[in-house]
Amino acid sequence: MVNRRIRLVLVVISLVVLQTTVFTHLRVFGAVPDLTLVATIAMAYEEGPMAGAVFGFAAGLSTDLFLSTPLGLSALAFALTAYGVGLFQSGLIRESRGIASVLGGVGGIVGNAIFLIVGGIAGHGELVSVHNIQVVIVASLYDALVAVAVFPFVRWAVRDADTGRTRPQR
Amino acid sequence: MEVYRRDTRGRSLLLMLVVTSLVLVTLDSGNNGLVNTLRAQAHNVISPIQSLVDDAFSPLRNVSNGITKYSAVRDENARLRRQIADLHGQQLRSRGVGSAVGQLEKLLDLPTVQGVTGIAARVTGGSPGNFDRTVQINKGSSKGIKVGYPVVTGDGLVGKVTQVSSGQATVTLIDSPTIGVGVRLETSSVDAITQARAGDRQLTLGVLSDTGAKVQKGELLFTSAVRNSAFPPDEPVGKVVSSTKSVGALAPTITISTLVDLSNLDFIKVLRWPDPTATPSGG
Repeated sequence: MVNRRIRLVLVVISLVVLQTTVFTHLRVFGAVPDLTLVATIAMAYEEGPMAGAVFGFAAGLSTDLFLSTPLGLSALAFALTAYGVGLFQSGLIRESRGIASVLGGVGGIVGNAIFLIVGGIAGHGELVSVHNIQVVIVASLYDALVAVAVFPFVRWAVRDADTGRTRPQR
Repeated sequence: MEVYRRDTRGRSLLLMLVVTSLVLVTLDSGNNGLVNTLRAQAHNVISPIQSLVDDAFSPLRNVSNGITKYSAVRDENARLRRQIADLHGQQLRSRGVGSAVGQLEKLLDLPTVQGVTGIAARVTGGSPGNFDRTVQINKGSSKGIKVGYPVVTGDGLVGKVTQVSSGQATVTLIDSPTIGVGVRLETSSVDAITQARAGDRQLTLGVLSDTGAKVQKGELLFTSAVRNSAFPPDEPVGKVVSSTKSVGALAPTITISTLVDLSNLDFIKVLRWPDPTATPSGG
């Protein structure tokens, strides 16, 4: 259990470092992927809505420390997205190829949309603009791409060392 | 029954996370000191890694730029040579006007940019997020940089420092919707404030002091000489791209482009303003 927590902290730290260093140089059409959001979606997929929401809150808060948008905005968006993805996958989705990209892309759109809407309501009206909607679409495609690498990373972090199993019994 | 209890607990936890997030958003909107300290600490931790990554990426970036932009750079060189010749002439012509402005500023006891010292820094990266127009620079409070200091290049105004940690700082660019710069138009002498829209690299002018003034295309804009201004006066900001007045509109729509290419910053200078007497504590 302790090892698992350490691995999850390691996932958040390494993805935040990658996001704030390497990916600031890898902007495509003005967009960068949200690595910690994709990790949050992976966590919700592997562990269910509540574990995903808690992880999303922590990952979002860590990301917020490096943004100029209000602290807590990503935390809120990530937690709600994870809860939604967790509920959705527990009822409908079965293991299949390409599920990481699909969830990464769709979750990227949902997470960023929540971010913009809540930010707009919280007094940052400049966030709600046509350009930012375009950015969300490009970023979600980028999220779908990086999900292929991020999902196995999260799966490694949450796996049970004894059984090797990752998905909880429901 | 057990399932119901677990679900209720789950929802309570989610509600708690939502409420905590909203409290944090509200606190940060009020520019909370604790939040700023937290951010500075986080930047301090990551700053050495960021420098390493930047150094590693620098040669790759240079090679890629050399290959993809060779022809554009050659054309730009020729264009810049012509521009230097034109500017030299313009500089001589405007010397007379400049001296008159200087005398007036002295008469009104307005601060000037001449006495302001600066700290040179390198841009290490853009924003890690999708919705803010910021860049990171490789110097911070240990070199005397403070929140609010204006940032310039040789071409003109870039933005201002909005976050600072000991080893690096975040600069919010003037084409960010969160920043408005008080400006004065070169020949029509209209005062206005720049307004930016997300994703639009061109700015518009609002709060015009004279809505009837004839504004020329190509007219330069400088920061206003106003007491307690966030920016030093007479710093070049941009030039007018278009000025149109639609039927029934009270004021013209003036569009400007920034003089500095904000998407391609490398080295910048942070001005010790409005604290020009501050002594440097480093480089």
